[in-house]
Amino acid sequence: MRLTVFLASLLGLLFIACDNDEPDPNSVTVNLQFNHLVDNVPVQLDQLIYKNALDQDFSIKTVKYFISGFKIHNPDGSTIDFDDIHYIDIREPATLSYIFEDKIPPGDYAGISYIHGLAKEDNVTGSLGLELDQLMEWPMMMGGGYHYMKLEGDYKAGSEESFFNFHSGGLDGVEYEINVDLTNQPFSVSKDLNIELSMEIQNWFKNPVNWDFTYFGSGIMGNHEAQETVQDNGIDVYTFAVLETLE
Amino acid sequence: MKNSLLIVSISLIIACTGNNQDPVYTPTAYPLEIPVGFPEMNIPADNPMTIEGVELGRKLYYDTKLHSNGEKACASCHVQENSFSSDKAVLPAVNLGWSRTFLWDGSVQGELEDIMHHEVTNFFQTDVSVLQGDPEYPELFKKAFGSDQITEHEIVLALAQFFRTMNSGNSKFDKVLRGEAQFTNEEFLGYELFFTERGDCFHCHATVFMTDNSMHNNALDANPDPGYFNVTGDSLDFGKFKSPTLRNLVYTAPYMHDGRYSTLEEVIEFYSQELQKSPTVDPLMKNLSKGGIQLTTEEKAGLVAFLKTLSDSEFTTNPALSEPQR
Repeated sequence: MRLTVFLASLLGLLFIACDNDEPDPNSVTVNLQFNHLVDNVPVQLDQLIYKNALDQDFSIKTVKYFISGFKIHNPDGSTIDFDDIHYIDIREPATLSYIFEDKIPPGDYAGISYIHGLAKEDNVTGSLGLELDQLMEWPMMMGGGYHYMKLEGDYKAGSEESFFNFHSGGLDGVEYEINVDLTNQPFSVSKDLNIELSMEIQNWFKNPVNWDFTYFGSGIMGNHEAQETVQDNGIDVYTFAVLETLE
Repeated sequence: MKNSLLIVSISLIIACTGNNQDPVYTPTAYPLEIPVGFPEMNIPADNPMTIEGVELGRKLYYDTKLHSNGEKACASCHVQENSFSSDKAVLPAVNLGWSRTFLWDGSVQGELEDIMHHEVTNFFQTDVSVLQGDPEYPELFKKAFGSDQITEHEIVLALAQFFRTMNSGNSKFDKVLRGEAQFTNEEFLGYELFFTERGDCFHCHATVFMTDNSMHNNALDANPDPGYFNVTGDSLDFGKFKSPTLRNLVYTAPYMHDGRYSTLEEVIEFYSQELQKSPTVDPLMKNLSKGGIQLTTEEKAGLVAFLKTLSDSEFTTNPALSEPQR
């Protein structure tokens, strides 16, 4: 008897669902595209052609990082939250764009925010699958979890020439993720939302601290001062634009 | 609804009429044991592991009939006591069920079935008729795959199944991670060096598998061998080779893609002060300009001691992986 009532209720629900012609209020797709700039123009990899604020030459060879905790902010202060974690590798074209599975309603929005890196609850060794473990693992000896970013290249400062490994992550239990707040840029959405996120790589090396390659050295993973500086300098690294279409 | 009933009825009829086809094909699921602390292994849905398939793969692994000239078996170059490596500087066949990049030059990518296909068709150039004419193999293939008509495809599947059982995860290092053993002071010094940027081994030799499964130029030569460049044609890939697993390193000499180093001490000396500049050296080799990481004598000894804790003698003597009795 109970089974019959349950099946009848299920069928009723199915009919109601099929008869509902109301459009899905969450009908807009959110697309991200990732750009990487130095001095406001697209980065040229493997070229020792850039200078930081201290007049030290540098090149860029590797840019790998996570963004997570993406939010779209409503004008009333509430947010639409996405729990996706996206990995970007500048040399892997497939990672340079991302489509969220969840959709949003058309309307007016106040801006966006997200985490460069991973929130503490997501920064757990082994949680993102073997491939990302192998690419981005952060050793247990230094707290475990994942690199938030691997930014690598050459630097030349006076007579000193070397590689730099600007690797950021949580160190010894201190989380150094960067909360990117771009909520002061309202936009309207009527069809698919195409967001171009741009990382100005030069800004990792200035404001508030001018990065000295000779002071911080080639590797910074175990250096709290360096990790704190990366976090502080990361405050103005990102900008975004809403585009009609993505390339 | 009527359509659904019709489909079910047809399926039942097909199932019933198929009952008298092949009573011999009743393979048994293989109970694959994953070492503690290892992630789950991805097993393709079209090649489920069975006891019959694994046993067939094991027999093929040790059989020179796989080779078109009958000269070599897999085991000729991948010897169990050498952690399925040998003095021919081949990569050890260990924990490959988790690998997605194969061979030193990365020329095969994908699943174990892809590398086995390469080995059967390109390396061994297996003559299927030899196996078909063998008094034992047709019956073994029938038990494993339901047909005594042997094809390259089933040879590949059987080998892949056996390779998925070649798993090593019971070294002292594993026991320390599980809280069952402790490092000596010397081993711990090496462990610290390995997993911090002082030694910086962990970027390329990552996770419990001790490899990042990626391609790197590790500054071995000023004029390196082409390596991955031969696969991609991209000049940025010149001199890149796959990071080998460091598991069971003491059994897998010689080292590097060309087998130039005979001892762990020589390898560590290279990383300490013999790095060579070339255009595609990986930026992870961040002490290139100094020639290497400049380890002290004590640090070198510590690193060797730690690397020796990656040895799993249970694996190199496991009877389930040895040559089956004829």
